Amino acid sequence: MKRNKFWKAYVLLLIAQLIISNYFRFTPFVMLSILPVMILCVPVRVNRFVLLLLTFASGLLIDWLSEGLLGLNALALVPVAYARNSVLRVVFGNELIARKEDFTVNSNGLASVTMAIVMVQALFLIIYIWVDSAGTRTFLFNFGQFMASLVVGVLVSLLTLNVLATETQR
Amino acid sequence: MKRQLLFPRLLLLAVFLLLEAASLYLVSRNAELQRTWMAQGGHWFMDKVWGATQSVRNYYSLAETNRQLALENFTLQEQLLHCQEQLRSQYAEDQKVDSLAGYGMIPAEVIKISRNKQHNYLILNRGYQDGIQEKSGIITHNGVVGIVDAVSEHRAFAFSFQNSDISISVRLGKEGSNGLLVWDGIHDNGAILKEIPLQNHYQAGDTVFTSGHSLMFPPDIPLGVAGKAKVVNGATHEIEVTLFQDFSSVRFVTVIHNRDMEEIEGFEL
Repeated sequence: MKRNKFWKAYVLLLIAQLIISNYFRFTPFVMLSILPVMILCVPVRVNRFVLLLLTFASGLLIDWLSEGLLGLNALALVPVAYARNSVLRVVFGNELIARKEDFTVNSNGLASVTMAIVMVQALFLIIYIWVDSAGTRTFLFNFGQFMASLVVGVLVSLLTLNVLATETQR
Repeated sequence: MKRQLLFPRLLLLAVFLLLEAASLYLVSRNAELQRTWMAQGGHWFMDKVWGATQSVRNYYSLAETNRQLALENFTLQEQLLHCQEQLRSQYAEDQKVDSLAGYGMIPAEVIKISRNKQHNYLILNRGYQDGIQEKSGIITHNGVVGIVDAVSEHRAFAFSFQNSDISISVRLGKEGSNGLLVWDGIHDNGAILKEIPLQNHYQAGDTVFTSGHSLMFPPDIPLGVAGKAKVVNGATHEIEVTLFQDFSSVRFVTVIHNRDMEEIEGFEL
């Protein structure tokens, strides 16, 4: 039952990401994406191969149905899925993975959760901005875009996390 | 336990790389800018990585390259000699004079050379089974190296030009006077041109060529450049010559044999 609720929330957030990608382009300095936090919140018990394929499919879906470049979100998101367990291990310790438990703000603390979100968001943004600019923009611009997108992305992700955590842990 | 974990990890890595490759393919296929950028990245990678390995490979294949160059050089020398021969034959026909005898050429590699004695020698990797004969000349594109003295089945022993017993008949300039060229006994590339009559004028910088009178070497092989001169016994000039040949790096040579040597020597008996 809890699982179904998570996947429902996941699908709804994918639709939300589609809307964000199409309409929320206020400034070229901010690239808002909640995909990294969605991948971070996929239950630990989900097979890692399935997680990789799910991530690839999610990224591709966003690329396909929004104005983005086909393959770009998938390219930046798959490394997030690949590194997800390592991030959880570094931030929350081995126990979480061993017990196949999911993290929450209440049990793991806001600071740790924020740290994990920062890590996956940063990994996603580095690849996304690097490939998107394709060597045409200056390092300073890319850095500015990275920092602004990271701050906004982490804040929005914390809200998103609340939605996902509520669905899975309630 | 670790072994049991290794395979799933490798498989996961493979799936990850596969998905990334698929994403990259999609990106490059759908955007000209990204395609160009990735192509540049690919070129950079090829330049740096494959270029570096190619340099290493080139370094280790230098011996083979040298061998090929030596063979090519030999072929060119042979062609040059044939051309010169044809020109001389044409000239001789025009002048109603017999043409010069032909020379046979065989490429060889120096397997041992001495350079720090007064009577230096060299050993070649070819012998009579390869067609090498005694009293053959040894040359490179830089000049004369020596004279074959003895031949075994697969080896040839030769006197180096850096041998105080060896002298070569030479000519100073294209139409200048003839003399004998000997090693100066001191320098790697130093020689002395002897027996140039006082009345014959020369200029420092004139090229010294083989005269073709010695039977061992065809005429017109450039050997070196004339330098300072001094008068000996009030009768002849002795001229310092800087050789083109660097004996410290000689490796691939051409053994040259006058096909008419026996016939000509028959007249001398």
